[in-house]
Amino acid sequence: MSQTQMMKGIIDGCLLAIIDGNECYGYEMAERLGDYGFDAVSEGTIYPLLMRMQREGLVTSVRRASTAGPQRKYYSLTKEGKQALAEFILRWQQLEKSVNAVLKKEME
Amino acid sequence: MALTQKSRKFLEDLHIYLLSSGKNLNEIKEITTELEDHLIEAEANGKSIDQIVGDSPSAYMESISGEMKPDLASWAKYFPLVLLGPIAFTIFGDLLDNGVLAYSLFNIIGIIVYTLLFIMGVSIVFKYTSRKQTSVTKEIIILSLPIIVSMLFYLLVLFLDTMIDTPIVNFGEIGSIVLGSVIFILIIAFSIWSKTIIIPVVLLALFLPDILLKETALSESSKLIIGMFITYSLIGLYLFYIFAKEKKKQQGSE
Repeated sequence: MSQTQMMKGIIDGCLLAIIDGNECYGYEMAERLGDYGFDAVSEGTIYPLLMRMQREGLVTSVRRASTAGPQRKYYSLTKEGKQALAEFILRWQQLEKSVNAVLKKEME
Repeated sequence: MALTQKSRKFLEDLHIYLLSSGKNLNEIKEITTELEDHLIEAEANGKSIDQIVGDSPSAYMESISGEMKPDLASWAKYFPLVLLGPIAFTIFGDLLDNGVLAYSLFNIIGIIVYTLLFIMGVSIVFKYTSRKQTSVTKEIIILSLPIIVSMLFYLLVLFLDTMIDTPIVNFGEIGSIVLGSVIFILIIAFSIWSKTIIIPVVLLALFLPDILLKETALSESSKLIIGMFITYSLIGLYLFYIFAKEKKKQQGSE
C-alpha cells in the first residue's frame, strides 16, 4: 500500500465522521479537514472519495440552492455509512494502539 | 463572483476530458458543478486552484474519471458522424457522376480502416489535450494531427487502389439506388437524433455547385471557381450561424 493510498483510507474515515456530525457540502468538509491539520492534502481530493462513497451507498446527497453560484450538493450518511464509520473507528483505534506501543517500546 | 480564467479553463478541460472518456453527461455536469461551487468559494477566500486540484491537474482529472462509469451509449452518438460523413460523400459523388456504384474490395476495406483510424486518433488526442493545460492554438494544432494522418492514409488507399488489383464489388443500378437511399435515410435519421445538420449542410455545399453548373455553358475553369465559391460560402454561412447561436447561448447563461 502506497502512502497516498493509506492517506486516502484515513481521509475516507474522517469524511465519514465529519458528515456524520452534520449534513454538509464539499467545501465545508475540505475546510474542516484543513482546520484539523490535513492541510498537506489538496482540497479536491475529497471529491473522488465522495463519488466512490456515494456509489458504494455510504452517503446520499441532495441538491439545494446556494446564495451565490450553482446549486450545492449536501451529503449525509446512510445506514451503511454509519456502519463503515464504526468499523473505521475500531480499525483506527487498533492501529493507533499498535503504533504507539511500537514507538514507546522501541524508542526507550 | 466570477471565476478566474485558470479555474474556468480547468473546468472546461475536465468537461471535455470526461466527455471524451465516454462518461455520462449528467454525471459530468454534476461533478463539474460541484467543483465550480467549490472553486467559487475557495477563490472568494483567496485560495488558488492549485490548492484544490494539487500539483497535477491531469492526475486529478484521472482520479475523478476513475470513479465514473463509462457511458458508451451517449458517446456512440458521435460515431455515425465520422462514419457517415466520408461514406455519404463518396457514394453521393459517385452516384451523381456515374449513376452506378462499384468499388474495389481494397477501397472498401480502406474506408473502414480510415474510419477506425480517425475515431481512435481523435479520441486519443482529445484525452491528451484536455488533461494537459495547453493553449487553444496548441490544442487545435494537436487535434488536426490525427485528422491529417487519417486523411493521408485514405489518400494513400486511393492511390494504391489504382495499382493493386482486387475484385470489384459492383452494386448494379438497383443496388446503387438502394444503397444511396439507405445512406440518405441514415443521414436524415442521424441529423434528427443528434440535433445537428452538419452532414446535410456539408454535402449540399460540396455537391450543389456540381448539380447547378452541370448544364451551364461555362468553361471548366469558371465552373471550378464558381463551384468553390459556392462551397465555401455555404460552409462559411453555416459556421457563422453556429457561432452566432453559441454566442447567444453563452450570453444568455451569463
